[in-house]
Amino acid sequence: MATRKERLSGLVVMLFGAGSLLYNLKYPLDTWGNPGPGVFPLMAGTVLVVLAAWVLGRDILKPASREGGESNAQCTPLKETFRITQGERRIFLMIAVFVLYILMIKWIGFFVSNFFFVILASRLIGARSWGAPVALSAGINLFCYALFDLWLKLSFPRGVLF
Amino acid sequence: MADHGILSSLLTTFQPVNFLSCFIGAVVGTLVGVLPGLGPAAAMALVIPLTLKLGPTAGLIMLAGIYYGSMYGGSTTSILVNVPGEPASVVTTIDGYAMARKGRAGAALAVAAIGSFVAGTFSVIALQFFAPLLARSALAFGPAEYFTLTVLGVIMLSNLTGKSRARSLIMIMVGLLLSTVGTDPVGGMERFSFGLEAAQGGVSFIALTTGLFGVAEVFAVMAEGEEQIKLLPVRFRELYPNREEIRRSVAPMARGSVLGFLIGLLPGPAATMASFASYGLERRISKHREEFGKGAIEGVAGPESANNAAAGGAMIPLLSLGLPFTPATAVLLGGMLLHGITPGPFLLRDRPDVFWGVVGSFYLGNMMLLILNLPLVGIFAKIVRVAPKYLMPTVLVLCVIGAYGDNSSLFDVWVMLGAGVVGYVMRKYDYAPAPLIVGLVLGPVMERSLRQALIISKGSLSGLWESPLCIAMWIVILLAAVLPFAMHVVHKSTGTRRNA
Repeated sequence: MATRKERLSGLVVMLFGAGSLLYNLKYPLDTWGNPGPGVFPLMAGTVLVVLAAWVLGRDILKPASREGGESNAQCTPLKETFRITQGERRIFLMIAVFVLYILMIKWIGFFVSNFFFVILASRLIGARSWGAPVALSAGINLFCYALFDLWLKLSFPRGVLF
Repeated sequence: MADHGILSSLLTTFQPVNFLSCFIGAVVGTLVGVLPGLGPAAAMALVIPLTLKLGPTAGLIMLAGIYYGSMYGGSTTSILVNVPGEPASVVTTIDGYAMARKGRAGAALAVAAIGSFVAGTFSVIALQFFAPLLARSALAFGPAEYFTLTVLGVIMLSNLTGKSRARSLIMIMVGLLLSTVGTDPVGGMERFSFGLEAAQGGVSFIALTTGLFGVAEVFAVMAEGEEQIKLLPVRFRELYPNREEIRRSVAPMARGSVLGFLIGLLPGPAATMASFASYGLERRISKHREEFGKGAIEGVAGPESANNAAAGGAMIPLLSLGLPFTPATAVLLGGMLLHGITPGPFLLRDRPDVFWGVVGSFYLGNMMLLILNLPLVGIFAKIVRVAPKYLMPTVLVLCVIGAYGDNSSLFDVWVMLGAGVVGYVMRKYDYAPAPLIVGLVLGPVMERSLRQALIISKGSLSGLWESPLCIAMWIVILLAAVLPFAMHVVHKSTGTRRNA
């Protein structure tokens, strides 16, 4: 793995731990004899920050790899570290579709939004035609409706249409 | 009690009404495990009114059937689509899913079924001999012992993935932090919920695992690109494990059975701990260590046997202490109370019919699951042959239903999506999600026991290592923490000397 990536991940985890410790200040620690709700998150958060700092420090101080890895001086350019592949572009699109799907569940109901979601997801994952995704989506919806709604009585949001 | 041995327990289970209850429970449980939306706890809760008409023994046998049937079903989805149904089958995703991607899904499923059966048999036989003794020793566990045990779990499982121990520990700590979201288990204060009502109940395990494993897997498949995904042709004879795979599975099954049973005796989330511990053990001692994470059969045989043996062994602390550690076992105990049976140290003495009936149903249920599922292996294995453009949208929808169905909350679907994105990034940056699940499962037990132990010892930290049991566990913890570093230093110095 690229050194810059290692450092970045260590830094993000450290920031997460530090953020949780800061937020944890809201909760009382009380005494050792009667520990409050802030004690355990404080302990876990502290260990997390220490470990992340250790990993980060180790990655920064790491000497150049013998197997063609990169040294501190020869880190991958920032542009290369954040390079987005074609597949990852599709992931971003999928996340956008997913967000839209969850938002629409409340308004147009689970089954309608599910119908469109499956078609779009199938297309994003590689389906070239429209016919098969539409058939797949209809099949999945019918299966879900019969099994989860009619039989198992899971209550899905109906939306304004039903 | 002497007259209630393996024979009488099996005879109890073989009574027609109990046999049928066991069968229905195992089938419903498998379906619940395979299908998302209705977890074992919810399914058991729905069935409780029906069991009241069956009487305590048959009713509890049916509830237990749903419990272990769902464990088997959960393993099936772990292997086929990388979505673990419950915590104990999280570790099966590592090598089970890797095997499926190599066209060996059928072999992995068959080994999981056989391993579960072998381990179930072992745990039932072991229970016959040790149950009365173990029921008494389970009482030796107080809050300090529970806390020490969870610390031991964290240390022992930190080397689970075989990559970086520090990274695994980081993930366990993240899991421990996530476990603190929601209501504080001792004082009842709301924490880290950011004012969101839906977050007050804590982070949904189902939402988190479906996201970290299922959704992240879909993203990983998308990132690979369609040209990278090869669907391997599978011939019929390849659906089942070959001679070499069976040979390699025998010892892990035996070790998993013993290890799982022993861990099952300890109070705590036993099945999960057992499966993780077995995986760690197999990875450490295997001759094929390089295959772990890429589809090692030992990585399926060991954990699948261990979690089943643990589920059997866990009946002792569960029934004798009356402390559930998973939602499903909580419902099982709730069912017992509704049937007028009080769990506790005297259950084994006062109601041996119930105790041994449930234990016997484990054995019979495992046999039923084996007979039912082996012929279905071929059908299940074909699922992974479906083209990703059709399979992955289906997986996504099932993940959504699973996350939503847990609490009927759209908030959990958001959590799932967030976990999916984080899970994908974690994979990319070499952070395994399995240790995070360890933290999430151990967190509530660890926090509750730590705070209770400190309250009991009036704030004295020495209360955490006063009992002989605690001292023994702390010694193991110290050794487990120090030894790997010492070995590393020794290896490094030996290497340096050789190079010189």
